Amino acid sequence: MSATDIPPAEMPPPVPDPQATVPARRRWWRALLADPTAALAMLVLAAIALAAVLAPLIAPHDPNANTRTVMLPPAWSERGTWEHLLGTDGQGRDILSRVLHGTRLTLLIGLVAVGIGGLVGSVLGLLSAMYPRIDPWVMRINDMLLSFPAILLGLALVAISGPGVLPVIVALGIASIPDCARIARSIGIGVMGQEYIEAGRAVGLSDWAILRRYLLRNSISSIMIFLSLRFGQIILIGAALSFLGLGARPPASELGMMAAQGRDFLLFAPHIAAIPSVVIFVIVLCANITGDALRDVLDPRLQS
Amino acid sequence: MIETILNRIVVSVPVLFGVLFLGFALVQLAPGDPARVQAGPTAPPEVVERIRQEMGLDQPVIVQFGKYMERLAQGDLGRSLISNKTVTSELAAAIVPTIELMFASLIWSIPLGIAMGTLAAVWRGSLLDRIIMAISVAGVSLPIFFICLLLIQLLGVKYPVFPFIGRGGPIWTAEGLRHLVLPALSLGLIFIGPVSRMTRSSVLEVLRLDHVRTARAKGLTEPQVILRHGLRNALIPVVTLVGLQIGYLLGGAVVTETIFSYPGIGRLAVGAILSSDFPLAQGTILVLALGFILVNLIVDILYARLDPRVQKK
Repeated sequence: MSATDIPPAEMPPPVPDPQATVPARRRWWRALLADPTAALAMLVLAAIALAAVLAPLIAPHDPNANTRTVMLPPAWSERGTWEHLLGTDGQGRDILSRVLHGTRLTLLIGLVAVGIGGLVGSVLGLLSAMYPRIDPWVMRINDMLLSFPAILLGLALVAISGPGVLPVIVALGIASIPDCARIARSIGIGVMGQEYIEAGRAVGLSDWAILRRYLLRNSISSIMIFLSLRFGQIILIGAALSFLGLGARPPASELGMMAAQGRDFLLFAPHIAAIPSVVIFVIVLCANITGDALRDVLDPRLQS
Repeated sequence: MIETILNRIVVSVPVLFGVLFLGFALVQLAPGDPARVQAGPTAPPEVVERIRQEMGLDQPVIVQFGKYMERLAQGDLGRSLISNKTVTSELAAAIVPTIELMFASLIWSIPLGIAMGTLAAVWRGSLLDRIIMAISVAGVSLPIFFICLLLIQLLGVKYPVFPFIGRGGPIWTAEGLRHLVLPALSLGLIFIGPVSRMTRSSVLEVLRLDHVRTARAKGLTEPQVILRHGLRNALIPVVTLVGLQIGYLLGGAVVTETIFSYPGIGRLAVGAILSSDFPLAQGTILVLALGFILVNLIVDILYARLDPRVQKK
């Protein structure tokens, strides 16, 4: 959307400072926080992330220490104790402490994977927008990557290297590259056609400066929207792989793996599987709501 | 039309090669020396070396890849290290259950998702819209294993209505259907969210277009306008979405099959990977990848059929 679309009366006063993006950003924040659901989702997400970061400090027990009481129900049920707020699992480990540590690992897997996908994807996409010569090649590779769904990449990598967190992260990261590259490329091509690129070239800006100053700045918000929507999916696939025993290995705590361990006690202590599952659900739900809201605020084309 | 299809098939050839190479790399990169395994742990080095030559393992990778392709073309994927059955026979037994599960999941979830999305779009901003969208976003966010466990707990254990272990038989038998209910319910549930969200935004877009206004102006009833002029056009992006989400569905199927001990490709794959059964793991991944390519091919062709603009290009 160019400035000419705005009727003159609403046009903001011209700001000579190139830092004009700052008030816009503040406006986004305001719009984002005006949506109570989105604000709540972001708050919950921030709280969960904080709890995960501080897990070693705030966890009441050692996540791997066995107590003698196994399958203890949560504190609010009849036989529960306040000693173990969320009860204990099948091996008598404190569920709250394990959930805190597990959230840490689950979030880490999601963040690193999304980071890899976002970084490599946007670099590839922007470069191919900038240099039409490499474009067909990048897109060819992209199409090929696109035909490997994340779960298949995960299965294949784990088959080669054996179960572990690392192959899962790598697979999920690679699987996020092609979509991200496509988004970055299409925005990049639009930006490359603008007059200010030519002007920038005329005053002697290097390719690197053009890439950083124009291409990256213009595409970053769309890439962020995509990544925030992708984050939830990545967490779900990562947790599913761990649930299947292909991701995190015991004794580490990871939410998907904890749910799998609780499966054997479904009949007598359903909370062991339910609590980590609900935590995953809340994380992904909040991430999706935030992503939807971000899209509505940042991408005027999609606004209804 | 035929040109579109041929074109599309040609485009999938490099992808096919990529998949085959992945399968090949899987066996190549797998830990352990196949010649040593064949010879046994006590065999002297000369014997291992001879077996290595016999198996062609001393030849350049590209030659080995060629041989691998040759064997593949003959349907020879080796034998499972665990069951000692041929991988081909193991795969053949698992494909039909997986197709049945996919079919049984999609047959109810796609129509329901489309109906929910259309209702939400037509009564946009209403309470119904908000409820449907809340259900959809929750559906997109639920871990598939949680859905499976909840359904097992509710309809398998607490009110034992449906069996939740294994497969009862082919889909057309009563027992087979009964066993399919809970897995298909679980897998279908994760698909409702994406379909209804996509349908909603697509219908909203189409309802704004001129031809819809014309249809209203010439006095068609609202259901006629929505069904004949709105939904029909809105379904085109939904078809693409279904294609894009097949990968997601595949992941769900792997988890669902494992939890319900349902003898499909996904469960076979997980079992093979966990037990380091490399030939079988390779076979399952190949079949899953080929299935994914095939479904996308079908979706693209369907898309070209539905949208006359694609054909002209």
